[in-house]
Amino acid sequence: MSEQSARLVRTLLLIFLGLWLILTLFPLYWQFITAFKSAAETNRTIPTFWPEVWHFENLAAIFAEPSNFGALVDSFIIATGNTVASLVLGSLAGYAFARFPRQAGGENLAFWILSNRMFPPVAVLVPMFFLFDAMPWGTDSYLSLIILYLVFNMPLATWLMMVFFRDAPRELEEAAYLDGYTPLRAFVKVTLPLVLPGMISVAMLCWIFAWNEYLFANLFVGTQVRTFTIVIPTFTHGSQSLWNLQMAFSMVAMLPPVALFILLRRYMVRGLSLGVVKG
Amino acid sequence: MARLQIEGLCKGWDFPVIDRLDLTVEEGEFFIVVGPSGIGKTTLLRLIAGLETADAGRIAIGDQDITTLPPYKRPVAMTFESYALYPHLSVFENIASPLRARRLDKAAIRQVVTEVAKLLRIETLLDRRPGEISGGQKQRTALGRTLVAEPQVFLLDEPISHLDAKIRHELRLQFHSLEELRRVATLYVTHDYAEALSLGDRIGVMGHGGLVQIGTARDVFMRPRSLFVAQHLGQPAINAVTAHLTGEGAALHVRAGNSSFGFPVVAAHAAALGRGGYRQVTVGIRPQHVKVLRNGEDAPGHHVIDGHVEIYEALGANGVLVADAGGVNLTALTSLERDFAHRQPVRLALQTDAVFYFHADSGDNLLL
Repeated sequence: MSEQSARLVRTLLLIFLGLWLILTLFPLYWQFITAFKSAAETNRTIPTFWPEVWHFENLAAIFAEPSNFGALVDSFIIATGNTVASLVLGSLAGYAFARFPRQAGGENLAFWILSNRMFPPVAVLVPMFFLFDAMPWGTDSYLSLIILYLVFNMPLATWLMMVFFRDAPRELEEAAYLDGYTPLRAFVKVTLPLVLPGMISVAMLCWIFAWNEYLFANLFVGTQVRTFTIVIPTFTHGSQSLWNLQMAFSMVAMLPPVALFILLRRYMVRGLSLGVVKG
Repeated sequence: MARLQIEGLCKGWDFPVIDRLDLTVEEGEFFIVVGPSGIGKTTLLRLIAGLETADAGRIAIGDQDITTLPPYKRPVAMTFESYALYPHLSVFENIASPLRARRLDKAAIRQVVTEVAKLLRIETLLDRRPGEISGGQKQRTALGRTLVAEPQVFLLDEPISHLDAKIRHELRLQFHSLEELRRVATLYVTHDYAEALSLGDRIGVMGHGGLVQIGTARDVFMRPRSLFVAQHLGQPAINAVTAHLTGEGAALHVRAGNSSFGFPVVAAHAAALGRGGYRQVTVGIRPQHVKVLRNGEDAPGHHVIDGHVEIYEALGANGVLVADAGGVNLTALTSLERDFAHRQPVRLALQTDAVFYFHADSGDNLLL
């Protein structure tokens, strides 16, 4: 390839990247400026691309209603609870599938677990509601969503952890047995540290899913427990749409996952490449 | 007290790997299992360690039957062929691992690990990770981890096979001098016959299903029970020539190739062979028993055959010559200062009283 055409390809690539960046960052930009506009400014026919007056009090306004902050707490409890449960169950199942495939039910059972995730969730929305309503913990509780989200997160955790465990050499565990460690202690001492980066990325994926979930939360909870995802739409009602408060609140709700990602991105990248790079 | 005793051990998957194996390794003995790759040497170690369960048979250490004990309850330490060092832990922590398993206090652990590291000359590496040290150092770390465990039986799986020749020699010397290994029963697996002959008090040659021959290194080398054993010990490998015997009584004669290859059987051998009435045999001649004569040189007590050079390789300590002698390829050891050209005629002197005769089908040594 000549130098000229190499430069052309490079230029085209940069243009493409630029367009792609604009496409992905525009919603965030729109969220940011809307969050600081006045309600009147958000409703203009010809939109403004920069707030005329910065209304920082919008942020204070959303937390003037204490239940809004409570919704973030509820979301946090549900996401974290579900992540812990997914990791514990998924790791145990993944370990079993990786180390004892035959005794653990083999490929078929592992695939069945994964197939749960392929199911369109909306198809079971109503049956699930009645099923959970009949349970002691009902639908409007932390436990209902923590358990329900396992349907989506546990297969993911099981399969990813299975891959990570397969990559962790069995011989290291055997060496630990011969050092005198029981299987459980060998698992904690040797295997767990090896799969930890992978586990952290699985935790991130699970947590973000549970944090963002709207469809089931909207139907299941709302009185005792409210997640932020079902609070955001309440800023829009019959008489008016408070786009600015809606955007301010969603901006705040975006912070925890972004902060988590920045804190753990080192592990995340290592975790996702664990299966690819050997040694 | 810490003798390792194996009786009737069986293990197989779709096919039998170990079939009714019996073996006793005494306390303080260094026993070497030698055999080709994939024959089940590692499986034997894994069975003793408890990483595999035996299909049948009994394994005991001292008075204790350990056949069904889980690996972490067996008084056994093992080095893995891959070393199996914990990549996320330092060399210190790797060596300390068996002590941590026993929940020893910090000071005691530090003292023991430092001692062992000094012994193995890796005391300067204790803070490094396994990924940051060389193969020989990894090997010594793995060995250190088994030494601190103070087991009653040591299992060493090809511990030095993957290292380069210089370090291998150094570690071989180290194995000789490790007092710790002299107080327990050690089972050492290798496919390298030189290691086996140099290190072992006794060696066992492993063939299909189990140990084909057990004895002192010298005994097994000098009196192999079968062609398989003879072929496995010695470098270059023994010459195995398919031949038939002619003549009667004490006047037996070996014939092979295009019938110009042959030599008279010495009287002591002829007696043993004549009793069995064997006609078809496999003749085994070690390369060091084939002498390449210089011009005009005489070899009393040897049988001289004419041939010509096929291949000549000058190796480190000696030369290896492959000659065609009457349609039979014979490998001979020569001294290094000599040189040979392709197709050059040579005179080969066979030391006929050092020749082995094996059964043509079973491979059994017919002289034993």
